[in-house]
Amino acid sequence: MQTTETAARIPLSEIVVPARPWWRLTHSQQRKLWGFAFAVPAMCFFALFSIYPIARTFYLSVFRYSVVEQPKYVGVKNFRNILGDHRFETSLINSFKYVAYTYIPVWIIALILALALNTRIRGRGVFRTIYFVPVVMSWVVVSVIWKLIFHRMGLLNTMFLHPVGIAPKNWLTSLKLAPDAIEMMSVWKEVGFFMVIFLAGLQNIPTDYYEAARVDGSTGLQLFRYITLPLLQPTILFCTVIGLVTGLQVFIPQFVMTQGGPVDATLVLTLNIYQTAFVYLDGGKAAAMSVILFFIIALVTLVQFVLYRSRGQS
Amino acid sequence: MAATSATDYVKPRRINWGHILLYVLLIAGAILILLPFAYMISTAFKNTGEVFKTPVQWIPAKLKWDNFTTPMHEHPILRWFKNSLFVAASVTLLNLLTCSLAGYSFAKFKYPGRDLLFGVVLATMMIPLAIVVKNLGWVDTYWGLIIPAGTSAFGIFLMRQQMLGIPDDLLDAARLDGCSEPRIYLGIVLPISRTALSSLAIFIFMWNWDSFFWPLLVTTDERYRTLPLGIALFESSYGTNYPQLMAVAFLAMLPVLIVFLLLQRNFIEALTMSSVKG
Repeated sequence: MQTTETAARIPLSEIVVPARPWWRLTHSQQRKLWGFAFAVPAMCFFALFSIYPIARTFYLSVFRYSVVEQPKYVGVKNFRNILGDHRFETSLINSFKYVAYTYIPVWIIALILALALNTRIRGRGVFRTIYFVPVVMSWVVVSVIWKLIFHRMGLLNTMFLHPVGIAPKNWLTSLKLAPDAIEMMSVWKEVGFFMVIFLAGLQNIPTDYYEAARVDGSTGLQLFRYITLPLLQPTILFCTVIGLVTGLQVFIPQFVMTQGGPVDATLVLTLNIYQTAFVYLDGGKAAAMSVILFFIIALVTLVQFVLYRSRGQS
Repeated sequence: MAATSATDYVKPRRINWGHILLYVLLIAGAILILLPFAYMISTAFKNTGEVFKTPVQWIPAKLKWDNFTTPMHEHPILRWFKNSLFVAASVTLLNLLTCSLAGYSFAKFKYPGRDLLFGVVLATMMIPLAIVVKNLGWVDTYWGLIIPAGTSAFGIFLMRQQMLGIPDDLLDAARLDGCSEPRIYLGIVLPISRTALSSLAIFIFMWNWDSFFWPLLVTTDERYRTLPLGIALFESSYGTNYPQLMAVAFLAMLPVLIVFLLLQRNFIEALTMSSVKG
């Protein structure tokens, strides 16, 4: 009783808090500092190996530069050269064609497979594993195998075309067929990846929706059109971003199978950049091409992000 | 009585043509997926005369094991294999450390600039890999192969998604007990996240086992090549000996295939997790 009364009589202003020296951080400050410190190692790697290189690429794009000589400032000359360069135009078109002819079939096939595996049939796990195997294989190994498959006397000609009486084709040395051949291989390699992503998206759709619609007498096609497709939209957008960003940077199959040939028929953007920098030793021009590729990828990602946001709100 | 008769009566099963069609499609697809692998393995054991027979001779008359040993005598394939293993393992360890730390920081701490940093991480995914800058001092060293791959935006994103799920109360309780922040990370956060860490390890290992563009830029000496790079350049010089090429390709495929078949559940779950929550 006595003690509480005396305690109550001391005015609050007279309670002395031991002074904290200015260099001692409060607990919450300390915690913030630790949080920041945990991010530092990763950010250092990004700064040195992502941000610095891209900044340096922007910088070099306005220089004449090769490994042997000192960089020399030339302004926008590299970009002007590129715009008049039919080889750059070819490689840009080839890259977009590769994306379209590879990923549109991939998305469609992957979605069909995902729908098929999202049913209650037996052996789903086995099929899923089999379709995913090419995804984990190295692009180099896959390209080497398919180079043999596309050989004039390889699997495709002897096993599939020969029995139906079609003369063997030179898949990788024909102007018209070489891009198709590489796209065919890429479809085979990429389908499993997108199938798994679509499958994840499908499994996220609550089954009550389907049951409710079925009670109302909807047909299978209606279920797909009015429930599956709309609810799958975030997944579809994710797949388009991933497909476009990886497809625009394709390099290994063309490098291993055709070296961009015949006559630039399979020369894609990344291969063109590589050759410009390390075969023709024109680092400035290659840097300028990289800058353009950077903006294309950024634009593609941004457009899809905006689409995603606007669809999400409506 | 009525109830038992209802259960005893087995409706004659109608053949579900939809399911049969589905199976036919799925099996045909699976065969198309596996055929190239069968072709590779079969070719790896053939002699050069048998490769281009029509119709395809799937089983060689005599298994030619030389196809595996001869290239090894002519090229440092074992060394490439070890390089790949060493580089991929080191990169994986580095990534586990940097990504889990950064993911923890972005998921469980609030400090000024945090969202900006996370934005930068996500933005680096847009940087094309075809960047012509290389540090000439690091050509033909293991440092040059390992350090630039020391962290990954995907890894940070994956770890952050996982760590958002750790209850704050758990961490605060540890703090009240006087646990230091590094000890909370080591003693609580890491053990809780071990599933996500193992998924991350699988992905990073696989990607770096397969990494090609960067090693192509920073190696000139045959001895520092990784396996995919070695095979690609071996292919361009020995492109005509397909059985040997297929044998080497088969060896390069084996480690990843084994890891995948053992841990395929983790593979697919990690992919699912990153796509759905993203």
